[in-house]
Amino acid sequence: MSDDRTDSRPIPVPPLPDAGPFRTGYFKSPLRGPWLSSLLSSALLPLIVICALTGFLSHAAYQPDLGENGLFDEGVDLYFFDWPTSPAWLYAATQGLHIITGLAAIPILLAKLWAVIPQLFERPAVRSAAHLFERLGLALLVSGALFVFATGVLNIQIYYPFGFSFVPAHYFGSFVFLAGLVLHVVSKVGVMRDAFRQQGVLAPLRDDLEHTEREPDLEGRRTAVPGNPAPATMTRRLLIGTVGAGSVGLAAMGTGQVVGGPLRNLAFLAPRGENAGDGPNDFMVNKSFEAVDIRMEEVGSSWRLALETDGKPGPMLSRDDLMGMELIEADLPIACVEGWSTTQRWSGIRLTELARMAGAEGAAEVEVRSLQKGGVLRKATLTRGQLEAPDSMLALKVNGVDLSLDHGFPARLIVPALPGVHNTKWVKKMVFKT
Amino acid sequence: MKRFRYEYGDSPVHLLAALVCFAVSAWALVQVFGAVGMPLNVVKWLVGSLVLHDLILLPVYAGLGVLAARVLLRGRPRDRLRIAALNHLRVPAILAATAFLVWYPMILAKSNPGFERTTGLTKDAYLGRWLLLCAVLFVGSAVIFAIRARGLRAKA
Repeated sequence: MSDDRTDSRPIPVPPLPDAGPFRTGYFKSPLRGPWLSSLLSSALLPLIVICALTGFLSHAAYQPDLGENGLFDEGVDLYFFDWPTSPAWLYAATQGLHIITGLAAIPILLAKLWAVIPQLFERPAVRSAAHLFERLGLALLVSGALFVFATGVLNIQIYYPFGFSFVPAHYFGSFVFLAGLVLHVVSKVGVMRDAFRQQGVLAPLRDDLEHTEREPDLEGRRTAVPGNPAPATMTRRLLIGTVGAGSVGLAAMGTGQVVGGPLRNLAFLAPRGENAGDGPNDFMVNKSFEAVDIRMEEVGSSWRLALETDGKPGPMLSRDDLMGMELIEADLPIACVEGWSTTQRWSGIRLTELARMAGAEGAAEVEVRSLQKGGVLRKATLTRGQLEAPDSMLALKVNGVDLSLDHGFPARLIVPALPGVHNTKWVKKMVFKT
Repeated sequence: MKRFRYEYGDSPVHLLAALVCFAVSAWALVQVFGAVGMPLNVVKWLVGSLVLHDLILLPVYAGLGVLAARVLLRGRPRDRLRIAALNHLRVPAILAATAFLVWYPMILAKSNPGFERTTGLTKDAYLGRWLLLCAVLFVGSAVIFAIRARGLRAKA
């Protein structure tokens, strides 16, 4: 099943010049061929599948069906379940995997594009209707892939040279990428099968330099095997080993940001590769107090937590009122969509206790609002399951001391397995809906 | 079936996959143009990333590789020692360049202006760290080459 077969009705297209990269024999590396492309693809495909699935899971974890959690109109709803609260490290794990597999895929993707570049310049440009469709699909696949990887890599470094909003672009871009990928897999699975059957899956890795020659042709298929190759200066195992080392190195950096502790030093080129210090409030900040539009007096002694149920105002609680209540304690991670996380020991008031005080026992959802005036993530709406999870709390203290301003003093939300930014800081109001 | 294959160039499954691919892509593009605020920039980045990679980045790095091979192997294309030297340059260069490509916003301190104020992190440490990585890769590779070179000379 492949348009690489040559027995089909030709399509009349203007001929390409026999010059430059279009010239037969322009590409000389003996390493290029269907086996190399197939091996790289078989490493790439599982990484992309995990990256895509965890990406869509992250979208679901934001619970975009509630309140204004959805940052954009998704066109269709792709979430079928409430995001769980157990295990508490669930979001750290899924989003960590998203970033780690994405980073690990980059060197393999680049190698793969290098391996197949001769086919961009193949002549004739179009051989059949199927070939035309396949090439259009490839344009979608490659531009979609580069777009999604580039925007993702820039986002985790908090650099936005593209101007458009990241979340919808990365989300919808992935549909273009994956749609192109499906067509590509359907087109090329036969090439992979034939190449592995003919040459073995790993056998070409055993060749030393003397035995590194061009790949054999695949009967009836056009491939990237050069017609007139230069002698090899690199074995296939060295090429694959180098790509693998790059991939493992980037994965290690991603892992360091997620796992933390001594492993965090692995992420020495990533923004969250440093341990912030030894103090109880010395851990990573996504958004500092200085960077938000909250005045000091708003978080001073006049601060009150306002509770509201179905439009009816409830009690206003000072921080002293809250500190006088029963505090629970739990070790919970903050896990950022950017692929870093940090676990701390929090203490605060159980959310169900606050619901009880607001007269909203068994509430269906709660919207938690920050003192922040701007920014789409200044509030978050929780599901009933998140509200009722035993460790969900309005935290007042961390690691035995008061929260610092950067970590959300006077009070912040901490919910197990909730995406980091939804753990609203500088909480002003909780609005329950029964 | 044979007729279909001849006219289309592949199986009906391929045609179905192609139509699904184009329909999903068209839908996603319509959605993204509506959602992001700057539709023209999205097109620029979609097409631009393709052009930048396929027609600029790849030819440049492949060209550098060919150039390095020409210089090092001039007149002695099958000299094992020289080929080894070439690879002991190429491998650290590929790894250092990949690290740069992925982390250049950190390395060149390009993150958003509010980065330091917002996160409390520094932007200045990364160029030094990347240079250190380069040093470790190239020096490490050179040391391994020096050890291997004895064996290669002995064989030759």
